[in-house]
Amino acid sequence: MPIRFKINDVAVEAKPGEGLLDVARRNGFSIPSLCHLESVPAIGACRICLVEVRRGRRSKLTTSCNYEVLDGIEVSTDSPEIRRHRAMNLELLLARAPSSEAIRKLAAQYGVSQPRFGPIKYNPLPNCILCELCVRACTELGHHALTTVGRGDRKRIGLPFNKPADTCVGCGACASVCPTHCIPMTDTLTKRAIWGQKHDFVRCSECGAPVITKKHRDHAIATKGLPEDYYDVCQSCKQIATSQRFAAIVW
Amino acid sequence: MTSPFKNAAELEKHQKQLQGQKQLPSTIAVCTSGCVAYGANRLVDAFTKAVKSRKIGDQVRIIATGCQGFCERGPLVVVHPQEWFYEKVDGKDINDILDSALKGKVLKRLLHKDAKGKTYQKESEVPFYRNQKRLLLAQNSRIDPCSIDDYLRAGGYAALAKALTKMAPEEVIEQITASGLRGRGGGGFPAGVKWKSCRAAASKNGVRYIICNADEGDPGAFMDRALIEGNPHSVIEGMIIGAWAVGHPGKPQGFVYIRNEYPLAVERLGIALEQARAAGLLGKNILGSGLNFDIQVNRGGGAFVCGESTALMASIEGDVGRPRAKHIHTVEVGLNGKPSNLNNVETWANVPLIIDHGVKWFTKIGTGDVSDNPWGGSKGTKIFALVGKVKNTGLVEVPMGATLREIIYDIGGGIRDGKKFKAVQTGGPSGGCLPESKLDVPVDFDTLVQEGSMMGSGGMIVMDEDTCMVDVAKYFVGFLKFESCGNCTSCRDGLIRLHELLEDITTGRGSEATIQLIEDLAETVRASSLCALGTSAVNPLQSTLRYFRDEYLAHVQDQRCPAKVCKELITFTIDAKKCNGCTLCAKRCPQDTIEGKKKKPYTIIQDNCIKCGICMDVCQQDAVIVQ
Amino acid sequence: MSANPASKSQPVSALPPLSGKPMRQVGSTGPLVLLPNRCTGCRTCELACAFAHSEDGNLGLSRIRIHPAGPDRYVQVTCLQCVNAACVQVCPTQALVRNADTGAICHDENRCVGCGLCETACPFGHMHFAVEMRKPVKCDLCGGRPACAMFCPHEALEWR
Repeated sequence: MPIRFKINDVAVEAKPGEGLLDVARRNGFSIPSLCHLESVPAIGACRICLVEVRRGRRSKLTTSCNYEVLDGIEVSTDSPEIRRHRAMNLELLLARAPSSEAIRKLAAQYGVSQPRFGPIKYNPLPNCILCELCVRACTELGHHALTTVGRGDRKRIGLPFNKPADTCVGCGACASVCPTHCIPMTDTLTKRAIWGQKHDFVRCSECGAPVITKKHRDHAIATKGLPEDYYDVCQSCKQIATSQRFAAIVW
Repeated sequence: MTSPFKNAAELEKHQKQLQGQKQLPSTIAVCTSGCVAYGANRLVDAFTKAVKSRKIGDQVRIIATGCQGFCERGPLVVVHPQEWFYEKVDGKDINDILDSALKGKVLKRLLHKDAKGKTYQKESEVPFYRNQKRLLLAQNSRIDPCSIDDYLRAGGYAALAKALTKMAPEEVIEQITASGLRGRGGGGFPAGVKWKSCRAAASKNGVRYIICNADEGDPGAFMDRALIEGNPHSVIEGMIIGAWAVGHPGKPQGFVYIRNEYPLAVERLGIALEQARAAGLLGKNILGSGLNFDIQVNRGGGAFVCGESTALMASIEGDVGRPRAKHIHTVEVGLNGKPSNLNNVETWANVPLIIDHGVKWFTKIGTGDVSDNPWGGSKGTKIFALVGKVKNTGLVEVPMGATLREIIYDIGGGIRDGKKFKAVQTGGPSGGCLPESKLDVPVDFDTLVQEGSMMGSGGMIVMDEDTCMVDVAKYFVGFLKFESCGNCTSCRDGLIRLHELLEDITTGRGSEATIQLIEDLAETVRASSLCALGTSAVNPLQSTLRYFRDEYLAHVQDQRCPAKVCKELITFTIDAKKCNGCTLCAKRCPQDTIEGKKKKPYTIIQDNCIKCGICMDVCQQDAVIVQ
Repeated sequence: MSANPASKSQPVSALPPLSGKPMRQVGSTGPLVLLPNRCTGCRTCELACAFAHSEDGNLGLSRIRIHPAGPDRYVQVTCLQCVNAACVQVCPTQALVRNADTGAICHDENRCVGCGLCETACPFGHMHFAVEMRKPVKCDLCGGRPACAMFCPHEALEWR
């Protein structure tokens, strides 16, 4: 049985258990958000995807990412009140991550250009907004190499037990999902440095370019069932080989 | 204890037997809860030793009880059966107490004296107790919490026997609903309604969790601690009845989530659970009813937020203790994804009373009418931890609907040192501060919320004229910014920023724009945070802004702290006319910043003054002025 | 799955032959057909693709590439929308999903965590991980109106 409800007076359908934000986006409603991916559990960290949900006589503000859709609810994705609270939350985030382009842009849309708050006192990872996407992505990938440490004003993203995790494969997903790109990751030809570890790269057997970290390759071979030599050639060399193969067929 | 009770009849027989037993002529009950800080444990040891050496073990029984309530006057000792109430008992008094108990003559010098010099013999006559209605705490100064026989003798577990043999689970739920018992942890949700939905929720393998929230983290609150330390079996009995009502005939499982900072409560709860198991009151086929139920103790790691139900369940699961959205209630999907019924310690302790004495008895106490709507009123009693600038601090139990004035003045004896009352904060760090004009407000769930505060779990902090309300708001916001789980931007960063802004005000850097920003930000913190910690975190702030706005304005407009608390806004000076040059202040000044010649007026060099106020405290001439 | 056909450790001639037919039809609309013998190497397709997928026409984000294959010979390389696609197989978050209408395997930004495994897995070297964006770049057949085919002046790309 599909779930039927309304977003901004437009009737929509969803499967039971779906998140409101996902359903809204699929149906073309734009709700801003900084901490949500469909593939990781929603926790409602950034508080930007606030919407108003009316259920019967009761109406409340809630984040849409971690709201499971229900039959008959009426959702409104914009209102002066929603905009006011989104703006204030964005101001808080902008003060925390002043050099993040993504947040600056979004904040500008809500009329916030300069936060009224000074730099945050405790933020060992500059520009980190503690959305935990990195932690959740790492957990979702099965690596569990990242965690949040502490709580309240001393909360930070860190390593379990404060030491580099053996389970980290250096895939860089944490750096990829970070909305403020604040996780330091440096690649050289031979190594990738991230979270206090250096991971050896598999080098392209043709040109020597880095392809993937060895640990990531081993993890992929073990879990994804693709043969080992799928991982030895870099993307550009594979493309050249493909073009040559096509040429050989055509001419 | 004999062998486990196989059925209710055996329990009743044992109970009768206990009640028929001849008691020792005298029982001396020493509070070993909060009074431990006054050396009550040494007192118990000394009593036991004296009894042994005087070979009067067949006449006097010494028991170490839970909190007896009148903490201000500890260590407390009550002599039964006469109920003689002795306060501020010292090691020197032991033999006198024993002598008086043996002779049956009251020891006058240790009795409680009121302000007019009138003495009171019996515990129940002391004004502090007389104006209370002690139901949950009734046994606290009578029984040894480590003795199940004491509890049985006092009629304990009779409610359980009644529920298990004479009442169907649904009937129990009906009774609890009809009684209007509302959650004592702060939310005030009707317990019966919660039980009913938990019973109705689908559970694949029939597992339902019965959870007791004993993660009492409010600063200055110790209601749950007193119950577990003083009468742990009442909580256990409540939970078993809950298991019967909510989980039978499925697989109910029990948890008590208790904070590890309560070592004595953990210990006594553990002993009580062992005793209950040995008595067959926990385990398989309890009292022959077919109910299988046991309780596991989980110790919390000290995070305030774990008192929130979903965070508590996450913590039991072994996860980081942080709340999740509760759009689907925990009675349906809670601990381990199973229906979970979580109630506070005090709520559980109320259950046996209701089953035992009946709905009619219970609904007579309290406010409103709950006959068709369990939200219609607040029934029963509520325990408060009355602390702060009140004369009689301690644990008080009053019927719902008692006014703040009754609690603070009749029971609490008014404000200390003849100062003026300024505000009372109810409901722990997330409660609001109510001014004098609200003193006649009846204390119940709905009225307090209307007035911008809340019942909370029952903390009650009284403040006098020397308290700066901006400073108070800053303290609570500071506490919560540290204890927020840090998930939501609005709560985590919002509270950090609110704390900074309040800091600005208390240090004289604030302006009216600061107050405006605080108001806007507080609104966002309330509106857009996920759990109750965030949404209620701004209560102290918003309520002080509502009732004590002039104090905020004095800070920002005149750079003045009316209560003379905020260090940056006050200066200490010495009145040359009054100073006799005794040098006391100069000697005690930690900064060595008071100068002068002996017998001549001294002066404070302001540059180095850290405004600790020691000079003011030590001055015999009242020559130190704070402005 | 067989060994990587693009691995140069074996000569190209030793690789299994392609059918020579256009790509297998995987969606309800027609496939994108590459006709290298008509290609002049003008790279209009690359530019069209870049503008179709980015505001500033960043060529690095183009999903089609022209490779020289001898004098006056050029080959277009773009995604073949494989039936048993390696990228789909390795994606840990199911962020690569075939669109039922166009048959294109589309990258779902709302699911991707950017681990980069798809780039490594694609045997044809099409899947490309944009380092700046930390997201893979992949042909999505422009939702049914491939810009490359529309703009190719020599009809070397056909949308059938």
